[in-house]
Amino acid sequence: MGAPRIVPTRGIPFPAGDPSLEPAEERAWRQRLLERALEAVSTAVHAPTLFEVK
Amino acid sequence: MARIVHYLNQFFIGAGGEDAAAQPPSSQAGAVGPGRRLAQLLGDEHEIVATVSCGDDDAAGRPEAIAEIVALIAEHQPDLVVAGPAFTSGRYGLACARVAAGAKAAGLGAVAAMHPDNPGLDEAGGAPVVASGEAARLMGPALDTLSAAVKKLLAGEVLTDADGLVGLAPRRPRMAERTAAERAVDLALTRLGGDRDATEVPLPRFDRVTPAPPIEDLRDATLAILTEGALVPDGNPGALESARATKWLRYSLEGRDELKPGEWRSVHGGFSTVWANEDPHRILPLDAARRLERDGAIGRLYQEYLVTAGNGTSVANARRFGVEWAADLRHSGARAAILTAT
Amino acid sequence: MLIRSIHTVRGVGTGGATEWRDGTLTVSAEEAQALVAAPSLAGVKVSWASPGDAVRIVKVLDVVEPRSKGPGGGGVFPGWLGPSGPRSGRLGGPAVEGPTHVLRGAAVVVAGYLPRAQEAVIDMSGPAAELSPFGSTHNLVIEFTPAPDADWADVDDALRRGSLALAARLAEAALDAPPDEEETVPDPGPVEGLPRIGAVTNLQTQGVFKDVFVRGESFNGQAPALIDPAEIDDGAVVSGQFGHPSLRNPTWVHQNHPIAGALRARHGKDLAFAGVVLSPEPVSASEKARISAAAAQLCAEAGFEAVIVTKEGGGNADADVALKMDALEDLGIAAVGLFAEMAGPDGTGPPIVVAPEKATAMVSTGNYDTRLDLPEMERSLGGEELALLGVPATSAMQLPTAVILASLGCLGGGRLTCAQEA
Repeated sequence: MGAPRIVPTRGIPFPAGDPSLEPAEERAWRQRLLERALEAVSTAVHAPTLFEVK
Repeated sequence: MARIVHYLNQFFIGAGGEDAAAQPPSSQAGAVGPGRRLAQLLGDEHEIVATVSCGDDDAAGRPEAIAEIVALIAEHQPDLVVAGPAFTSGRYGLACARVAAGAKAAGLGAVAAMHPDNPGLDEAGGAPVVASGEAARLMGPALDTLSAAVKKLLAGEVLTDADGLVGLAPRRPRMAERTAAERAVDLALTRLGGDRDATEVPLPRFDRVTPAPPIEDLRDATLAILTEGALVPDGNPGALESARATKWLRYSLEGRDELKPGEWRSVHGGFSTVWANEDPHRILPLDAARRLERDGAIGRLYQEYLVTAGNGTSVANARRFGVEWAADLRHSGARAAILTAT
Repeated sequence: MLIRSIHTVRGVGTGGATEWRDGTLTVSAEEAQALVAAPSLAGVKVSWASPGDAVRIVKVLDVVEPRSKGPGGGGVFPGWLGPSGPRSGRLGGPAVEGPTHVLRGAAVVVAGYLPRAQEAVIDMSGPAAELSPFGSTHNLVIEFTPAPDADWADVDDALRRGSLALAARLAEAALDAPPDEEETVPDPGPVEGLPRIGAVTNLQTQGVFKDVFVRGESFNGQAPALIDPAEIDDGAVVSGQFGHPSLRNPTWVHQNHPIAGALRARHGKDLAFAGVVLSPEPVSASEKARISAAAAQLCAEAGFEAVIVTKEGGGNADADVALKMDALEDLGIAAVGLFAEMAGPDGTGPPIVVAPEKATAMVSTGNYDTRLDLPEMERSLGGEELALLGVPATSAMQLPTAVILASLGCLGGGRLTCAQEA
């Protein structure tokens, strides 16, 4: 829909989570997600860009 | 001699750019900036008696601003209030539209000008909106359209799409000169000739948003977390709708490092909220955001989160929320935001 | 090549014999009633309603233009008055060669109760008269009483056969009269250097009382097909569709196919009239998508460079136009669609129920919801009461444009449109 910076996540009902993981792993996944988001806002973009979490 | 008051933002009156976006409403005599060219085009029968201005963040972000602007305008007893052109500037467009709507509600004639993709398009209440191009370099043609519309309105005439009328103006029946079949043949030839925009029925298209420049140093910046996952305090005290939301809400995060299950829930009607209610951080990642703060990756976390329900939200409302959130956050000093979308 | 011999109707009346003299059509009521009579009809009555009369016709069913190619019809309304004739010409061509005689300015109108028919109105004077094509025609109105215990489907069939036979009989009266005009109608085909523009005509085929027939057979479940527009002139498409009054296309409208007419008028000048494709309007979304893709493919194979798509019906039918427009654009064919708006009585609602996603060129044929203040009338035909409001049919009343027959001109024959105003 035109949003310039997008970090894809793992599920609509849990955008910042992953219930298939153990709690500690899920928190670690969430941290990586936010860190990737910070990278995205620090990156120049010219068109809608996906920033995948590694 | 028709009396006109012109509404412009901080940039067009020459007060500055983003740095002056927080300026409160103010008034000055006569025409200013592009108003001068507008006055020339309008000629001797019309006078721009005053120019009222406001910073875009203030106008679009502070709830009382519009009423104050309209009060300043009304002091000059105008026959018509002219707002813009706002081109594609979202906050400015919202402000122009709301000023026009407020003026109309106060019994004054009003017209706004902006690009048809401007989020303010549908906010002008009963006031007409005429089209401008995308950017200020198209001021010339925008003022031509606007001045012609102003003259017509002051002459008591009705505006139509031929005058550049856009937005929610009602569609009224009329008898065309030629049959629909004849017009369809013309439209087919026009389209074959390369004009792929020509149509008798304009429809909203999804907007392209200009990306914000990257943050230079996050370690000094305030980050906000937002969600359209409808996460609200248990009991939904703000009565956020589960679908077709007409509003957004804010809740304080001060003193909180985490969201306890049971104290928060998602009222989003578009997905199963079981996982969200089990662990609210799956919707609003407060724990991870506080960690970023503690680790120094960001300067600070903004002390509130903004929330709505992104379920069947109308395009107009979604656009409006986005512009209001931006205005609100900028007003509060946030430089970056992470929105969780469901 | 189709030749139309146009006989302009200037006056009408009833008399001892059906005849055409000096622009006046006289009809023998006895003969007319006998032509329509059938076992499923207990009684039939015919009367005239002319433009300017203080007459309201309610419960209108089909409307047919008097046309004939010879005694007994001579090949018009194939599949009804006679067998679907031998094929000739590029696509089959008209069933029979020779001029088609037209009584222009007259129409046979069937009016009365049928189940599932949505009440349709024609006013012969007042503000609604110009909104229906039939407010300007001299209408020979057939009113009927069903036979006791008659099956409604049989009543419907009898009325259809009767009205088509009567329409042919009326035009037959002018066969030997010198025409007021002779129109030579070009065949579709390529013209060197000119863009090829065709038409896709969607027919709402939804079963009994909501069906459209091609050469005497229901078009329900058929695949999109090319048809020689000359066949349509000669009555190959007959309407049994009694749904949305403002949004349906009576037989008369097909006979005078406005899109074909507008394209033919410019054939050889700035465009080449490329042809007509008929398509059903399926009910399910997946079928709509499949038929739309098939119709677009057919247009591509036929060499159409641009297509004007029309519909029949309400918001559901918008999807058929929108899908076809997008399918055509996907194949690189420029698409234009005709849509009626449902913008609410004050015109501020979202105008189009289902809009195309990629295609953008849309023509507006007016607003379904616009309210009309209609005057009291002296006489009504088709019924004593307007069932929609439960008032006498002759009362002054307020009706939405939705109720006036063919007022939103789905095939483009009207000048009603919408524009934004503030």
